Amino acid sequence: MRNYLRKTTSAAPLAVFRILFGLMLFGSIVRFWSKGWIDELYVKPRYFFPFYGFEFVHALGQNTYLLFAVCGLSALLVALGLFYRVAIIGLFVSFTYIELIDKSTYLNHYYFTSMVGLLLIFLPAHAYFSADAYRRRTLLADRIPAWCIDSLKLFVALLYFFAGLAKLNSDWLFHALPLRIWLPAHNDIPMVGFLFNYHWIPYVFSWFGCLYDLSIPFLLLNRRTRPWAYVAVVIFHGLTALLFPIGMFPYIMIVTALIFFSADFHQIIIDQIGVWFSASTRFMRPYRGYTYQPLVTKAILISFAVFFTIQLLFPFRYLLYPGELFWTEQGYRFSWRVMLMEKAGYAQFTVKDNSGNRIIVNNTEFLTPLQEKMMSTQPDMMLQYAHLLRDYYARHGFRSPQVYVDSYVALNGRMGRPLIDPNVDLANEQESFQHKAWITSFNDTIYGF
Amino acid sequence: MTRFRWKQIGFACAFVGALWACGGGGGTDNSTPTPTPTNPTDQASSDRKAMLTNIADNIILPSYANFKTKFDAMLVKSDAFAAKPDKTTLTELRQSWVDAYTEWQKVELFDVGPAEQRTLRNFFNIYPTDVTGIEAYVTAGSGAFDVPASYPKQGFPALDYLINGLGATDDAIVARYTTAADAAKRIAYLKRLTTQMNSMFTTVYTDWTTGGYRDTFINCTALNAGCSTSKLVNGYVLNYERYIRSGKFGIPSGAMANGTVAPDKVEGYYKKDLSLTLAKTAHQATIDFFNGKNVKTGQEGPGLKTYLNSLGAKDSSTGTSLVDIINKQFDLTNQQLNVLKPNLSDEVKTNTAAVVEVYTRMQKAVRMLKVDMTTAMSITITYTDNDGD
Repeated sequence: MRNYLRKTTSAAPLAVFRILFGLMLFGSIVRFWSKGWIDELYVKPRYFFPFYGFEFVHALGQNTYLLFAVCGLSALLVALGLFYRVAIIGLFVSFTYIELIDKSTYLNHYYFTSMVGLLLIFLPAHAYFSADAYRRRTLLADRIPAWCIDSLKLFVALLYFFAGLAKLNSDWLFHALPLRIWLPAHNDIPMVGFLFNYHWIPYVFSWFGCLYDLSIPFLLLNRRTRPWAYVAVVIFHGLTALLFPIGMFPYIMIVTALIFFSADFHQIIIDQIGVWFSASTRFMRPYRGYTYQPLVTKAILISFAVFFTIQLLFPFRYLLYPGELFWTEQGYRFSWRVMLMEKAGYAQFTVKDNSGNRIIVNNTEFLTPLQEKMMSTQPDMMLQYAHLLRDYYARHGFRSPQVYVDSYVALNGRMGRPLIDPNVDLANEQESFQHKAWITSFNDTIYGF
Repeated sequence: MTRFRWKQIGFACAFVGALWACGGGGGTDNSTPTPTPTNPTDQASSDRKAMLTNIADNIILPSYANFKTKFDAMLVKSDAFAAKPDKTTLTELRQSWVDAYTEWQKVELFDVGPAEQRTLRNFFNIYPTDVTGIEAYVTAGSGAFDVPASYPKQGFPALDYLINGLGATDDAIVARYTTAADAAKRIAYLKRLTTQMNSMFTTVYTDWTTGGYRDTFINCTALNAGCSTSKLVNGYVLNYERYIRSGKFGIPSGAMANGTVAPDKVEGYYKKDLSLTLAKTAHQATIDFFNGKNVKTGQEGPGLKTYLNSLGAKDSSTGTSLVDIINKQFDLTNQQLNVLKPNLSDEVKTNTAAVVEVYTRMQKAVRMLKVDMTTAMSITITYTDNDGD
């Protein structure tokens, strides 16, 4: 172990990763902005769904644009390696803040991006081939501790592995759900669309996807299988980009997987860019190692150990809750469970009080279509919404309003059923990490993880 | 060694590039015809182009044509009444209004394309009508017809007030157009109202018939939010939930607020005996559309029913098909509708529970249409990225 921690490696892979990560994020921000989603998702909504424990995070109104500007600029600076520490901290904080504003926009790859940003704060990604190293030659180094790159590989491997593990369930493997529902929707795309009319195709996709997720980290680690594994990465994520509206995620993963390639591979890329910029040999080949101060190394290593322990355990927290995970979603987020469910819901809230006031809420008066869609299938969001309604109607003439929900949720093609006990006054229920007893029990069994 | 690595990089880049290009192209290129599979499994019915073609040519277009016939007839009678207001022309106008309003119930559900873009419903059927607003417009002799505040001052509900609600007897109503001080202004308002309706409908109808929208409609076969199937289904479910369930029953019966009945909020309030007919017609149009029923022949063709069946949508615990479950719920609602008397305004006062029961039964169908049907079809209402979790 001690020997491993002393091992050094080329800084080129981390430098390439920094550049691509920064550029990808900058691209994502530009894309988000140009599609008008800042206004749509963070300025226009009247209410937001903050995460439990992060209620202090608020939408910033028009200043949200400023937040995105900071995020985009930080991403660009990270790519350049200019003012790196400030930039990567800025990127992590601004990006994470944005993602914490509203649960409705939660996506696993945003969480992934946030966590990579967090790791990068502590890694010397600016030591080699960066504007900082160009300006300050004492920083310049082309060797870094091997664990710096390995920690990124480990994190990516965890993501894939957990994503694969989550697919080991009876719906996915034996009923090809939800792909059986999603694929026929694309039977009109050119060339391959007709395939989706065949009933066995979703099974092929399901099994391939599961095996892919479980094995790809190992195939990428192995030098001999790596080129083919990468072809698989590109095909797999390319297909998902083609078939599902998942935005930048496939491209981020295609780029991220490059971290598994050899130092030589990355050196060729860096050298080529160096040629374009007519960089000096001294800048390209400093033959210096980057060293942390011993205490700093120790602190970082301990923190990383804690970080990865949490990452390893967190996806299993669902085991602490009773009931079917897909139904209750207690412990569902932050666990790399991607594309596992086709879940749709309908939630009609009734607010009343003891003096005879009673109203059936029109959700569109409070929520955006996306918020309503997300709220309708997720119990914790329903509770937040119920509290929002309680407070709103308390200000509008109701005396200690009670809030009930008539919910109807369909999971993976099963007929819809109430998700929440319609007789429970949600105004009185509190959010916590405890099991929510007012979620109905699932009337079916999904076996597996 | 180096050369080999370069090949790797080139390979990877070419792949990413090619897929990126495909990704962009595949998403937007909707004009490519659907390829025919060599060995189809239910292909005939999960073919959305066939479904959209049947819906366009055998349901939407003939329904619009039927409406146009009744609507044009009403315009003629309205002009006749405006030219010579008397009891005969009033009676004729009233009958043609009943016919057109009833026929309207069979097209209101097509909230897609030109009708959606121009919010046709807003100019035809927003009620309860705004009597004060109408009188202000009559007095002023002018007033905008295209702002949201003006929607309850026009369309069939406004006509209802103008030909049924101005007096207790026909003589009294005719007097408002002949001897009253503002008779000329009232006639002018009636004319402006029908002109406005005519211009709105003509635009929508022309877009469908000669404006090329029919081809756009059947060729936009993707299931994303911008294409026909999704828009059609979203509009259809919205119409059922908000304008049939809530508008015709939930709100007047008080089922949706405080339990206080609102007899003045029924559709066709001034005509009194028409409200149930309108509701039944709209409900039947909903059922027929679901089953893909050809408006001209009455035969069922490719529609939501065949599409859901081709997907094998069913209740996995009982094996009953979703289509049967939904149709059964429609039937239950029909049975309850048959219990009611023609004047819903009276019914909500004297027979409240029966009206609320219609609402409750419709509510069950709403859930099935909005959740079970859309989830089976993989239709979403969101327009941003979504990784399915």
